[in-house]
Amino acid sequence: MTKGESGGVQEDQPQSKKAAKKLQKEAEKAAKKAEKQAKLASENQAGDEEDFAKDRYGILPMIQSQEKLDRVLVHVKTLTEEKADQVVWLRSRVHTSRAKGKQCFLVLRQQQFNVQGLVAVGDHVSKQMVKFAANISKESIVDVEGIVRKVDQKIESCSQQDVELHIEKIYVISAAEPRLPLQLEDAMRPEAGDEEGRATVNQDTRLDNRIIDLRTMTSQSIFRLQAGVCQLFRETLIKKEFVEVQTPKIISAASEGGANVFTVSLSISQSMKYSLKFMFRAEDSNTHRHLTEFVGLDIEMAFNYHYHEVVTEIAGTLVQIFKGLRDRHQTEIQTVCKQYPCEPFKFLEPTLRLEFPEAVAMLKEAGVEMGDEEDLSTPNEKLLGRLVKEKYDTDFYILDKYPLAVRPFYTMPDPHDPKYSNSYDMFMRGEEILSGAQRIHDPQLLTDRALQLGIDIEKIKSYIDSFRYGAPPHAGGGIGLERVTMLYLGLHNIRQTSMFPRDPKRLTP
Amino acid sequence: MRAGRSAADSRCLSGCRSGKMAAARVELESLEKTLGLRRRNKLGPSPSDSAVPVLQTNNGPGLVGLTTIASHLVKVAKKEALLGSTAEESAIVQQWLEYRITQIDRCNSQEDTRVVLKELNCYLEDKVYLAGNSLTLADIMVYNGLHHIVAGLTHEEREKFMNVSRWFNHIQHCPGVRQHSAAVIFMKNRLYPSVH
Repeated sequence: MTKGESGGVQEDQPQSKKAAKKLQKEAEKAAKKAEKQAKLASENQAGDEEDFAKDRYGILPMIQSQEKLDRVLVHVKTLTEEKADQVVWLRSRVHTSRAKGKQCFLVLRQQQFNVQGLVAVGDHVSKQMVKFAANISKESIVDVEGIVRKVDQKIESCSQQDVELHIEKIYVISAAEPRLPLQLEDAMRPEAGDEEGRATVNQDTRLDNRIIDLRTMTSQSIFRLQAGVCQLFRETLIKKEFVEVQTPKIISAASEGGANVFTVSLSISQSMKYSLKFMFRAEDSNTHRHLTEFVGLDIEMAFNYHYHEVVTEIAGTLVQIFKGLRDRHQTEIQTVCKQYPCEPFKFLEPTLRLEFPEAVAMLKEAGVEMGDEEDLSTPNEKLLGRLVKEKYDTDFYILDKYPLAVRPFYTMPDPHDPKYSNSYDMFMRGEEILSGAQRIHDPQLLTDRALQLGIDIEKIKSYIDSFRYGAPPHAGGGIGLERVTMLYLGLHNIRQTSMFPRDPKRLTP
Repeated sequence: MRAGRSAADSRCLSGCRSGKMAAARVELESLEKTLGLRRRNKLGPSPSDSAVPVLQTNNGPGLVGLTTIASHLVKVAKKEALLGSTAEESAIVQQWLEYRITQIDRCNSQEDTRVVLKELNCYLEDKVYLAGNSLTLADIMVYNGLHHIVAGLTHEEREKFMNVSRWFNHIQHCPGVRQHSAAVIFMKNRLYPSVH
């Protein structure tokens, strides 16, 4: 350090010499650049003069509903061989663009479909137009007119593999900023792509820029499939003459005393029966499968003699959903599989029902040490899922007769063995998606159980009172929509199946 | 201040080392039983390094080191076949005894154990025993050294290192080898077909 300082004077001269050289070089560079620009400008000017296609491209003024055009815009997904040689208009995003001499290849995307577009210098297309097309930033929205042409060799990178679009007009409707926070191609790359040393996008970056991440074909497919789950849930239950109800989410006190409840002057209800709604959980769990706000699909029904009537009904509903997804959403399943490979979801009819002691025996046989009345830990749940899959070849099963000690106060005890209860969980790929039970419909027993567990009777008075005027035996269960979607598709993080996920660490976007 | 800290450091060090020494004693005692040796040999820590066991023999100076003592016990028990029946086999046995001491016993992190398991898994792909066609001291010593590692693996990991699991399960069922170590459970069927 001190040596360098003392030698500073000596080094001064050579440094200034170097600096002078550097300056000179820079000046030369600048001169060259200016020359080049001048040349380019003159070329452009010359180009402008002879640009025969200047009306065929450009940036359109903002659409402010000034005119009603009767131009028909077709959807990218309809571009197939049947449309060959037709002239079509379409509005799409610029997914990628690649200029190559006198032509420019664009991939045009609309939702989960894309097609290759080609702007090539010819009778209708000028050099300047190719250049304009090549400079449109990715993710910009464009209106395009072109001729659909069959291709000899399938275009592997696009969903519309048999045709390409020979573009004759291209207008920018909305330009995207040239620098994107993440590249869609990176966000769609399978995780195994690491081997090629190419970039993938991590979960937090995706969620911070969810608006862009939702544009990937994978995300588009995930949320279409999720909508399918809701639709199939409703369809199936309407056929069974269930009634959809809406109940308040804001209540005065925790009705269950299970998980923690948000206390914001009023508590937000943990669980209500009979509907499809937003649910809240105030547990501070930062795991791959917990959200603080999620959509619950709840079923509650009265039964005649045995709560298995209800279990059969709920399992049947889920099987209908699985069948519906398999039959209606194969395209979406395949698309997601391309990025997140997974085996197809398997289920049995009728659904496999195991009892808790059987599960404990299976786990013990596999070397797990656990007590008979102990709840299943997450790793044990997953291992059990594997054991069940290996033994019965199903990804969906019911686990019945949970120990009473691990269930809420309103769970009906088992008539034959008071250590157990009439409660059940349902599992997909070894993870819980539904928790349910026969509820106690007798006010006296309900009060006794609440007292045994040290729950303040005053706080749940209205719940207990509702059983004083006669109530039929009933049972039910709540399904987490995001979990069903995640596990059906074999995804590994619930944040992928929630559009704007909420967890203890995330409130935006 | 400084003196106090170094004293605490050395206390921890000797604590860890005496732990290793105790483990070595248990292992050698269990080996004596495996070999059918009645007489209990006296083990003590080495004066220079307390983690290294020393066996006081009747003739000459003490024998130093786990594998050295183990090989000696095999000869005392007149079961030389366990050291390899041909020159090649003996060399391989010696190599794995060294591997046990230099690689397996020096696993300090998850990554270290992954490396060891991966190497072993490759090596065992076409073998029943580590050396030759029968049980050798190498199998016993590597089994002992790996026991706590394999016992801590999940079923998924045991399936991932399938050749190690097959070999380990076979060795733990060889008569007399397991002694007081807990039996590790392996599933007969594949639970995680997508792992492969």
